[in-house]
Amino acid sequence: MSVPSPARSRGREGASASSGRVLPFPVTGQELVLLGVIAALWLVLGLATPAFLTSGSLVPLLVSTAPIALVGLGVTVVIISGGIDVSVGSIVMVCAAVTATAMTAGDVPLVLALLLSVAVGGALGLVNGVLVAYGRVHAIIITFGTLNIFRYVGLQVFDGSTVDGIPATLAVFGRGEAGRTAGVPHSFLLVVILALAAWVALRHTAGGRHYYAIGGDAHAARLAGVAVRPRVLLAYVLTGLLTGLAACFVIAQGTSTLAPNVGLGLELSAIAAVVIGGTSITGGRGSVLGTVLGALLVQTVASGIIQLGWPSQLSSLFIGVFIIVAVGVDLLRQRGRSSS
Amino acid sequence: MEPRPQGAEEAHRLEMTGIAKSYGAVRAIRSGELRVRPGTVHALVGENGAGKSTLIKILAGAEQPDSGEIRIDGRPVGVGSTAAAIDLGVATVYQEPQLFPDLTVAENVFLGRELRRRGQVDWVAQNARVVELLELIGLPARYATAPVRDLSIAEQQQVSIAKALGGEARILILDEPSAILTDSEIEVLFGVVRRLVATGVSVVYISHRLDELFTIASEVTVMRDGETVGSYAIEDLTVRRLVELMVGGTPVEATGRRDVPDVPPLLRLEGVSSGDRLTELDLAVRPGEVVTLYGLVGCGAADAAEVVYGIRRASAGRVLLDGAPVAPRSPRHARALGIGLLPSDRKRQGSFSFQSISFNIAAGNLPLLSRAGVWVDRRRERQVAREAIARFSVKTPHERQPISSMSGGNAQKVVLARQLVERPRVLVLAEPTQGVDVGAKEEIHRIVRGIADEGSAVLVVTTDLGEAIRLSDRLVVLRAGRAVAEFAPGASQADVLAAAAGDTADRAVPA
Repeated sequence: MSVPSPARSRGREGASASSGRVLPFPVTGQELVLLGVIAALWLVLGLATPAFLTSGSLVPLLVSTAPIALVGLGVTVVIISGGIDVSVGSIVMVCAAVTATAMTAGDVPLVLALLLSVAVGGALGLVNGVLVAYGRVHAIIITFGTLNIFRYVGLQVFDGSTVDGIPATLAVFGRGEAGRTAGVPHSFLLVVILALAAWVALRHTAGGRHYYAIGGDAHAARLAGVAVRPRVLLAYVLTGLLTGLAACFVIAQGTSTLAPNVGLGLELSAIAAVVIGGTSITGGRGSVLGTVLGALLVQTVASGIIQLGWPSQLSSLFIGVFIIVAVGVDLLRQRGRSSS
Repeated sequence: MEPRPQGAEEAHRLEMTGIAKSYGAVRAIRSGELRVRPGTVHALVGENGAGKSTLIKILAGAEQPDSGEIRIDGRPVGVGSTAAAIDLGVATVYQEPQLFPDLTVAENVFLGRELRRRGQVDWVAQNARVVELLELIGLPARYATAPVRDLSIAEQQQVSIAKALGGEARILILDEPSAILTDSEIEVLFGVVRRLVATGVSVVYISHRLDELFTIASEVTVMRDGETVGSYAIEDLTVRRLVELMVGGTPVEATGRRDVPDVPPLLRLEGVSSGDRLTELDLAVRPGEVVTLYGLVGCGAADAAEVVYGIRRASAGRVLLDGAPVAPRSPRHARALGIGLLPSDRKRQGSFSFQSISFNIAAGNLPLLSRAGVWVDRRRERQVAREAIARFSVKTPHERQPISSMSGGNAQKVVLARQLVERPRVLVLAEPTQGVDVGAKEEIHRIVRGIADEGSAVLVVTTDLGEAIRLSDRLVVLRAGRAVAEFAPGASQADVLAAAAGDTADRAVPA
């Protein structure tokens, strides 16, 4: 397209007028709606229970959101690429078990503990990635299989009991005073930074954009010259790495004892956050910012219900409704698009 | 299904007269006529777009005619729905077997009209009836309870015929049944058809393989441009004559034979084979030249394109680029070699439908549009999209429009633009104007010639005769996986079609 054309000059003028976006999903739509819903919930909760809008209530909320949002970031990339990863709960379990055991065995510095957990997570993600990208079986089957296998591995590490006497090395990501700066929890801050980085990478780098193409139509992406399989593999490795980091948050947020039920069901919370965040479960569309907001919404509901003194099982009901509403809205938007 | 006596001239099983059908402003059929005698095979031929599919759809109840009359066994009938057609004894077998692979043959044959006894499926009666049908079409009785998945394509097609006959058909429509079959399988199919005809069934047989009509049909009706040209006894015709009737007298204006520089070829295929679908194809495309591979569906031209683009590995022979052997391993590798592809079936292979125009153009070119190969330069990306929109006159308000909301021709231009962000050394186009309106077709042809003029070697694969003649500097006709003829620009449609359809007399004009 080296031929000069009238469009070039017109393009320059238009650039300032238009929002200049290439992808049809900037920070609008679902993300703004979510932000509004969260704000409304906080306002209502603040009015109903004055204690809600204090740091004593908001900090635990943000801290407990962090691991779900972090795992959700990876799962978002996987789902955008047209896959899914239901093994993340088991990856958290293995990473937490290995890291906590190492920490109790000797004096493990913070950085080493983090690296260990992230490396274990990356290795497990690599297993998922190789099987999904190079096998011919759907990701849900592969990761459902590894969910069980990883759980077995984790139970071996726990060896039938709990891990006790974990030192407070990771307290910098915990609920306590050590876990925040100027009132902001480090774990949540780190999640926000990573989410912004992922957001930029997905929208502005060639590799990130390829995930949308692959999820939209893997065959078309291949014909367009995208290296589909290495890309897909990387998405699962990335998820493993992030999940390894999330495992450190989980250790830091707990007591000095780690029980074998750690990470159980985390994959469902993460997927709920992704779907509520507006990422299409069929792939090709979505945003990591939506996922962070989705995770925040899920935790706000859970926390708010406790604050209000309502029965805690109500949170399942609300999350279920949010998921269906989010998917319904997505379907309606798609239908609107195809009919226009 | 008693054989009827061959009575007077009027004793037709089926008479369709004065049929007209328009889709909006497009007149698919202006005057369609079809008369079929009982117990005969009647061929229906015509080029793509001649109106034969529409005529068949009307007969099968899938479309309603604007005017005209249909009589079956002399009685005027209304075919208001496909169910009505089946009740009238009109059964249709489409090209691809429409069967459920995991159900048994018997279950498939009776799907939707299960024989019941006291509210339950009567398996015994069903299987007994299927065995009868299988006998009729020449398949072993044990197939009744075999899953369709285990059958060959040819056998599946026979099952489709059995399914169609399950409703006591008097008229059986076979829509290009031979297109997906091998020669020996076609023999089996013909055996089935002959057996059915012997029981009094009338068969309407649609095929592009004209030579086979002389083996199986007794009469031919020719359609052209939405009109029935006439009906003929097969013994009065030759393939050559049939082709002339199909294409009529109007020549296609060739726009090829621009000045192709006399330089060594850029792309060469030497003895390239791909399984049994493509056999020892030799081909050379020079820079600035548009070479077209033309043939009927299944002729192997599409396979040749897939070999060049690395989707399919050649089982023999080699591909040379600029004299050096290359073996494209994947589309990605092909692109790295400077080979671009416009895939056929744009909806399934070409586009990311809910993404914007600029996303679609940038896909596959992102490293090129990025700083350091990583960071996408959004401004350039938008600019490239806008330039493409202007250059190819894509009708759209802006480059952020999702491609799913665009017409076929515009979407095709977008997918084409993706290949041209960086001018490819070799551009392979598969069915570049399929499903595209006439105006967009012209524009796409102009774009393709423009690419050649800029020095790319262009290889077009098409089943559209007019396109093949209009676009080519050189036209190679494939038949059953082999190159059978080569034409210079300005070849007559009849010559080209005759070569593709299997005219044994060699009338090809060497280029």
